[in-house]
Amino acid sequence: MRKILLTSAVFGLACAGFLGYQTVKAQDQELSPEEEIRLVQEFNRMMAEGINPGEIWAEMGKEAFKKYNLDKCDFGLGPGKIEGALAQLPRYFPDAKRVMDLETRIGWCLQQYAGMTPEQVKKFAKQCWGKSQCMGEYDAIVMYVSMASNGQKINVNLKDPQVRRMYEIGKQIYYARLGPWDFNCATCHAGQKEARIRATKLWSADRPGEAGQAVSIFPKYLVRWSQPVTMHYRYAECIRQMRWPTFEPHSDLAVALSAFLYGTANGTEIKVPGIGR
Amino acid sequence: MKKVLFLGLLAIGLVGISPAQQKKQPTKKEAGVKPEEVRRVLLSGFEQDPKFLWKLEQDESQRICSQYPSMEAMPAQAVQKVIELENKNITYPQWGIAWGDWKEGKKLVDNPRGGRYASYGFSDKPTDKGGNCYACHLIEKGVPGGTMGPQLTGYGKRYGITKENMNSPEGLEKLKTVYKIVYNSWHAFPCSAMPRFGYHGSLSPEDVMNIATYLLHPESPVNK
Ligand code: HEC
Ligand code: HEC
Repeated sequence: MRKILLTSAVFGLACAGFLGYQTVKAQDQELSPEEEIRLVQEFNRMMAEGINPGEIWAEMGKEAFKKYNLDKCDFGLGPGKIEGALAQLPRYFPDAKRVMDLETRIGWCLQQYAGMTPEQVKKFAKQCWGKSQCMGEYDAIVMYVSMASNGQKINVNLKDPQVRRMYEIGKQIYYARLGPWDFNCATCHAGQKEARIRATKLWSADRPGEAGQAVSIFPKYLVRWSQPVTMHYRYAECIRQMRWPTFEPHSDLAVALSAFLYGTANGTEIKVPGIGR
Repeated sequence: MKKVLFLGLLAIGLVGISPAQQKKQPTKKEAGVKPEEVRRVLLSGFEQDPKFLWKLEQDESQRICSQYPSMEAMPAQAVQKVIELENKNITYPQWGIAWGDWKEGKKLVDNPRGGRYASYGFSDKPTDKGGNCYACHLIEKGVPGGTMGPQLTGYGKRYGITKENMNSPEGLEKLKTVYKIVYNSWHAFPCSAMPRFGYHGSLSPEDVMNIATYLLHPESPVNK
């Protein structure tokens, strides 16, 4: 029943036009109190009914996965095998001679098997950044592949020296104070005491299990933007708040952060998509 | 062309930074990652627009703070060093310490937009100016705020500032104390989460004076 509902929702959205839905313009983050209240109500309703619109993206992603020949893509478990793929990433890929996390790997495969140039891949990945109600094929692919690891425990191989190296680099960057506002990741995501930025509770790398809870639900559907947020988009958003220069998806920086965060999250069960206000 | 320019900048940056970094950064032996490697990975992660790459230069205090996971974990010597460095990094308005305009200060305190520019989506501009103080502080009564920093409600009352004493030497000394905290928080709280707004030029000395006035002035809504 739920499946049918979702499918018809996808169908409806598809008819309404991928395009029409996509062109909502960049939103701003400051909301009026009325909008805040409406969002909370909508969020609570979705939680109560167990609805997560993020799943719609997975349906769409299944199509896009085929369309872009990603069944040729090896995520570390063999070409096209996506069950459990997210759980063992980031890992080292001899073909690319690089440690890669899920999104970086998808980007690499889009170049190899879908004939995209690096620039096209970047554009594809950032299609929905700064927008709302955006149905992007990239987000859909990430959602589809991620959901295939649901129920599995994160298991990054930190014994692999290449992965370990990225983990250590990621850790050092996590603590690097930088930029005109002096932030590091730990400014907002560390410490025993629970802190809030405005009304938002922040997760902390120092409180057991919280890093796991943070990353194991990505991509996460955000009610206020009516679209999912992938891990790299989340990095970009945090970095925007840190007043660092604009973040590049699929970069080694992204991989290092993922190696550190997912490595720290080892043992946490993957539950995608998450949902948040 | 752009690439060449960037590489040039990179080279300058690295030369400028590495000597101090090699001395200070306690490259953990077990990790075996060199600071240059961390730097390379870091720089790989940003759009190479030369207009914004200056944001990634690290100063001495930032380098010291990066070595410790928290303020509590800092040895006294490091704390002392940052205080010493940051005490030199404070400048004052041309006319010295005098009360500013709390209404102007309020605008800067309320505005979340300062410095938060990215090349995608969002309408923030590189020229936007504001301290986003509510992200971390509760300030005016009834206005929602964050809890990362201490509550500032009634801050002027806490300092005992009144209409009568505000222009006395003690009153002005208190204004100066708060000016210094907002201008350069690290001189008082080394490696604090609170940005050094004035030192980095995100806010001018006049802006900071207006903000300090907003926090302390008996007529400001903070103290109602
Ligand atoms: C100025 C504050 C700030 C800084 C600095 C910051 N973040 Fe965040 N981060 C946030 C906020 C706010 C959220 C949203 C939390 C929510 O919506 O529940 C968030 C969410 C996240 C999440 C997802 C958690 C979730 O459930 O949504 C991850 C992962 C994350 N940040 C990683 C990082 C990393 C890595 C860095 C450094 C590169 C960083 N953050 C720096 C404020 C910050
Ligand atoms: C990212 C978080 C953050 C932001 C943004 C921030 N602060 Fe703070 N602030 C703190 C923290 C944390 C402290 C406590 C100092 C410490 O122990 O590190 C603090 C301390 C202070 C104090 C000293 C309080 C006392 O106990 O006397 C004042 C005054 C203050 N902040 C004002 C401001 C103003 C004004 C702004 C905006 C222009 C601002 N802060 C922005 C985090 C922040």
